[in-house]
Amino acid sequence: MSLLGHPVVVPRNRLLVLGAAIAAAVVAVVVIVVVVGSGSGSSSTTTTTAHSGGGGATEARSTFAGIPQHDDTLGKASAPVTLTVFEDPQCPFCRQWNIDTLPTVVQNYVRSGRIKLVYRGVVVIGDNSLVGLAAIYAAAEQNKLWQMAEALYERQGDENSGWITIPVVRSAAKEIGLSPAQVTTAMRSAAVTSAIRKSAAEAQSLGINGTPTFAIQKPLGPLQQLQVSGLDPGDFTPALDQALR
Amino acid sequence: MRLRTPIAAACMVGIAIAAYLTYVHYAHTSPVCTTGGCEKVQKSKYAELGGVPVALLGLIAYVTLLALAFVRGMNAATAGVFTAAVGVVFSGYLLWAQLGPINAICQWCLGNDVTIAVVAALYVVRLLTEEGG
Repeated sequence: MSLLGHPVVVPRNRLLVLGAAIAAAVVAVVVIVVVVGSGSGSSSTTTTTAHSGGGGATEARSTFAGIPQHDDTLGKASAPVTLTVFEDPQCPFCRQWNIDTLPTVVQNYVRSGRIKLVYRGVVVIGDNSLVGLAAIYAAAEQNKLWQMAEALYERQGDENSGWITIPVVRSAAKEIGLSPAQVTTAMRSAAVTSAIRKSAAEAQSLGINGTPTFAIQKPLGPLQQLQVSGLDPGDFTPALDQALR
Repeated sequence: MRLRTPIAAACMVGIAIAAYLTYVHYAHTSPVCTTGGCEKVQKSKYAELGGVPVALLGLIAYVTLLALAFVRGMNAATAGVFTAAVGVVFSGYLLWAQLGPINAICQWCLGNDVTIAVVAALYVVRLLTEEGG
C-alpha cells in the first residue's frame, strides 16, 4: 500500500479501527437525523393539527382583536411610523416571526398607535407560495389579510411540498370567519393579481430577495430596511425601538 | 504527525466557512452568493438541527478537528476520523437536501463539502500512518 508516495504497511488493526470509526459515524448521523429530524417534524405536525381545530383562529383573533385593519395595513392610519413586512407564506422564518413575535409587536407598538404594519407578500421559496399569497390578498379584500396570513402559517408544511392547496385555503378562511367560496373566487381576481405584482415590484425596487425582510418608514422619510439581530421578541423589539428614536 | 499542518490548514478553511454561515444565521443577513440559492438553503428547515444552526455544529466540529490535529496518538487520530466522517456523512445528507427538497444550491455548503472531505481524507491517512498504537 502507498500513502503520499511512501510505501506503507498498514496493520490490520488500523483498518479495523478505520472501518469501525466510519461505521460509527454513519450510524451516529442516521440516528441524529432520524431522532432530531423526526422530533421537529412531529412537532410541526402537532402544531398544524392542533390549530386546525380552531386554536389558531382564537389566537389570531386575540392578536388582532380591536385593531383597525384595511386592505394590507394593520393599525391606525394615523400611526406615524410604518413597518413593512416582506413575507413568503412557505418561509419557516416568516412563520417564526409571525407566531412568536408579531403578537408582541402588535401589542406593544400597533395597538398603541405608534406603528402600523403593512404586509408585502413575495414568492421566494417556490411557486406554491403564489397560492398562499393569492389567498392572503383575497382575504385583504375583506380586511382580514393578517388573520389569513397567520392561519396559513399555523398550517405550514414542508417547503415546496405543495401544502398550500385550495382545501387548506378553504379551511383557513373558514377558521377566520370568511366565506371559503368568496375567498377562493377572489383569489382569481384582477385586484389580487395586481396586489401580488405590486408587492413583488416593491420588493425588487428595494433589492429584497429573502424573507422575512423588514422595512421601516418614518414621517416624510424613505422606506429603509430594518436590520434585526433575530426574530425573537427579545432580539426584534430593540431594533424597532432603535429605529423609532 | 507530519500531517498536522495540512489538517490544521484545511480545518481553518472549514472554520472560516462555518463561522461566516453561523454569523449570517444569527445576524439574519443574506450570505454573499453567486449560485443564487444560498439564502433559500440558509432559511430552509435543513439549516437547523434540533433548533441549532448546522453551521454552528460545523464550526464546533472543525474546531474539534483542529484541536485533535495537535494531539498525538491513535486515540486522537481515531477521534479525528470519527468526527470528520460524521461531517462527511452529514454534508452528504445536506447535499441531498439541496438537490432534492430545497431545490437550491449554496456555494458555501459546496465549499464546506470539499473541505470536510479533504479533512476526512487527511485524518484517514493520519490514522493509517500514525506512529505507535
